Amino acid sequence: MSIGIILCQYGKDCQDQELTSLSGKLERNKYTDYLYSDQHFLMPLLRFEQSDLKCKNGCDYFGNPQWQGYCSKCHREQMSRQRRAEKASSATLPKPEQKKADHGLKLTARSSFSKFEEKRQRQSETLKKANLLKFTVFKKSSTDDHDHTPEKRPPEFKIPSMVNDGMKQDFRARFPNLPPQVDRDSRVFVHTFIMDVMKCASVMTVDELSERVQRQYQRFMKHMDTSQHFANVEPDTKEQLMDFVEKHAMTYLHDLPSIVFSPIGTDDERADRAMSERIQQLSWVGERHLECKLDRNSASCRQLLYKAISELLSMDSAASPGGKLRQVRRCCRHVLALCGRDGAPASADDLLPALIFTVLKANPPRLVSNINFVTRFCNAQRLMTGEGGYYFTNLCCAVSFIENLTAESLNMDKKEFDCYMAMPASIGGSSWAAALLLCGVEREANEQRAAAQKAREQLQDLQHRADRLAADSHSFEEQISKKVQDVLSKTPLEIKPRRELPRIGKLREISSTPLIDLDTSTSEDTRPLQDVTDSRQPSQSNGNAFIQDSQVEPQTQSSKPVTATEDTEKLNILGFEVIDKPSPTKSPQTIDQPWDLKQTSSLELLTPSPLGYTPFDSRSIDELMTPDEFGADHLAPGLGNINYDIDLSDFSGDNSIAEDAPKPEAKDPFSPDVLKKQMFDPFAPQPQPESLNSILEKFDEFSLTYTGNKTLDPFEIVHRGADPFSPPGFTGSLPQNSSRDPFSPVQNESTSILDHNESPTAASLLPSPLQPQSSEKPS
Amino acid sequence: MTSGPYNYSYIFKYIIIGDMGVGKSCLLHQFTDKKFMADCPHTIGVEFGTRIIEVAGQKIKLQIWDTAGQERFRAVTRSYYRGAAGALMVYDITRRSTYNHLSSWLTDTRNLTNPSTVIFLIGNKSDLDGQRDVTYEEAKQFADENGLMFVEASAKTGQNVEEAFLETAKKIYQSIQDGRLDLNAAESGVQHKPASPGRPLAAQPPARDNCAC
Repeated sequence: MSIGIILCQYGKDCQDQELTSLSGKLERNKYTDYLYSDQHFLMPLLRFEQSDLKCKNGCDYFGNPQWQGYCSKCHREQMSRQRRAEKASSATLPKPEQKKADHGLKLTARSSFSKFEEKRQRQSETLKKANLLKFTVFKKSSTDDHDHTPEKRPPEFKIPSMVNDGMKQDFRARFPNLPPQVDRDSRVFVHTFIMDVMKCASVMTVDELSERVQRQYQRFMKHMDTSQHFANVEPDTKEQLMDFVEKHAMTYLHDLPSIVFSPIGTDDERADRAMSERIQQLSWVGERHLECKLDRNSASCRQLLYKAISELLSMDSAASPGGKLRQVRRCCRHVLALCGRDGAPASADDLLPALIFTVLKANPPRLVSNINFVTRFCNAQRLMTGEGGYYFTNLCCAVSFIENLTAESLNMDKKEFDCYMAMPASIGGSSWAAALLLCGVEREANEQRAAAQKAREQLQDLQHRADRLAADSHSFEEQISKKVQDVLSKTPLEIKPRRELPRIGKLREISSTPLIDLDTSTSEDTRPLQDVTDSRQPSQSNGNAFIQDSQVEPQTQSSKPVTATEDTEKLNILGFEVIDKPSPTKSPQTIDQPWDLKQTSSLELLTPSPLGYTPFDSRSIDELMTPDEFGADHLAPGLGNINYDIDLSDFSGDNSIAEDAPKPEAKDPFSPDVLKKQMFDPFAPQPQPESLNSILEKFDEFSLTYTGNKTLDPFEIVHRGADPFSPPGFTGSLPQNSSRDPFSPVQNESTSILDHNESPTAASLLPSPLQPQSSEKPS
Repeated sequence: MTSGPYNYSYIFKYIIIGDMGVGKSCLLHQFTDKKFMADCPHTIGVEFGTRIIEVAGQKIKLQIWDTAGQERFRAVTRSYYRGAAGALMVYDITRRSTYNHLSSWLTDTRNLTNPSTVIFLIGNKSDLDGQRDVTYEEAKQFADENGLMFVEASAKTGQNVEEAFLETAKKIYQSIQDGRLDLNAAESGVQHKPASPGRPLAAQPPARDNCAC
């Protein structure tokens, strides 16, 4: 709400200005919108319309910006209404001083105001949120940092914790060497100070309040002199501490309406307006009237004046007296440089007229309020000594000179003076305004140029980095490829028969369904990779594996009867399947319990058929069933396993469901489901051997085969990489075999690598889908 | 700033008044710029219009304010006087008018400063003795009548400049010792730095403003 009021007032003041540029018009229009609508965040109108020029009251006369968009009659009424309202409301907000139509300078002032406005908004928000912190008396010491006890809770005002936190941070930044007690003391002081001022603000006149504030400052100084916390603090540091305390206390109070800045009971605001109007009226006063040595044609002179004016304008945005003093100091340094350019020491004889001229050209916002604020609430000692105090005194002199300016004080004829004063304000001083505008434009151009330069540098930097990144990535790529080449050359691919074949066959027989599912899932994964890796012999790979099987068969039989029979049967069944002749033993069982198949969800695994083996769907399901049912009991039905695998490979090449399907199928507690899972985890290869062994021990035969496999390795001799005699008819079924079948070249690869190197790096070079199987093998 | 020659006990505020062009700022610069040569290594930047001197073993920082001397600013330059412990009233011995204005300057000073403010009359440009327009005796008599200290000095050669400032400081220090100057009054123009070592206890003023609400 208060923001709205400020905006309104700001808008009103804005309209008083003489605005000529389009941007100025738009600005005014925007604030007119702010003023006359309840919503403060309307988009500004970008175009003038006939209705915009009419009186705001809608009385069909034309309005005038000077009259806030009303016609003369309505404006008078409006003004009287406002005056009444102002009198009625006790909480009058400080009003922003209207600004001159000095385009080069306007920007600064406005931004400063918006800053102020923002701050106020923030302040009011935190005011609501923060809880009151009533500080105990100064001397009361507590170990806690927050030694303020909320004993009393006057509802009128609250000190936001922001002040406390801000002080803490600022203290740490500015006085890193001072002990924490000093920090605490100063914070305690600020809080008591603020509380005291706010308590007294409503009952005291501003002069009494000022006196009280000064006494508070003295009290703190005395405390610094007497307290042992400050025993080791240097005098200059004490002064800085004083400024620090003043800054934080007054910054907070400054933003509260009508407490210390343009307080109630003073006519600061009116004086502000009067002063601003006066300065506008005196815009014709030139350097020759004041007898100051300024050269409008000198660029450096213009620049200095422009800088001085900028600093002076930003005095309003500084919240603390110290901050305002600093701005004045900066301003006056520029002015001093302006005076003392010709080598001779600048004297006050020159400084004061130049400063007066600067003030006249700047027309700083809320000048009187600012000066009064500093005079009343700045630490008096700071004001009376030091550079800031000196310049501020000069500023006061300048302002009072402008206030009391007469024809005599300008050494000119009274008549001429009156003529000048009667002149419209916009005419006078246009040359200087133009010169300063030039400065503003120049500065803006410089800023733009600097920004462009910076952007260009950034761009170059970015470009540079991009180039470097490209180079890096290129070299990285080369390195990697080189490494890969190295590794490949170190570990050449050796195609060997898979040794684990018998064991895996056994396991599969035992494990029945889950194991089969596992295999299917892996087979799906391996399939494409196998093709890739086997690119040398893509056409033969499937058939080869089968041929290998058949050729291996006799030897396996000789060495291990169980495996041999299994293999032979498998081969038979493969043959049967291909020629659509299922084994007679299995089929009845499958028929007996067809629903079990669905239960195990192996159907899902079977449905997708990458090789288009749809006619085998039903059959394969039947085939599958058999091993599911008989897995544990029948060792011979390893055949079923094989069938199942064949079908899956046929149909599951691109089936993603098949991967997930096996999991729910753990029926048998003894089935190596757990084992599988562990084995399937490629990230935990270590525990696998033990767990696998332990599980395997439960199955005597397989543990036997397992060990036998390790030692015997029956296929090593027989294995061949590629067999041209592989029957083409078996291609559909063989991939499955080859993927899970130890005779497939890929698996041989993997096993061989693992066997020879026994290192995970070698394994990691292999396609990942093979890993589950390969992880089986080392165990 | 807090060590060596910068460790001062007091700050005295001076103002330099006088007509335009009498050489006020030249006097100031002559005095303050000399510190580079004399007192201390110029490692620290020039603080505006200050110089640290020593009186009776006490380091005193002089803070000197130059003022605008134009007649038309006379009415508005009153705030300069606020809290000045010493006032150097300067006239130009080659220009009679500047001497004639002294009485009005004196009136201003008397009215706008506290009674204990030390006023020192300086006849500047003593190097231009050939163009002298105001005799030494004349000025001396004026000074005696009004209870002012007086010296003729030259900002150009530096003659007597130092003395004028130092004598003023001594007088102010004396009045502090005598208790005539209340250090705690805001207008005294003197700031005391009690934390400095070796401060005289006599400097502590008896009347303390002990308001703690």
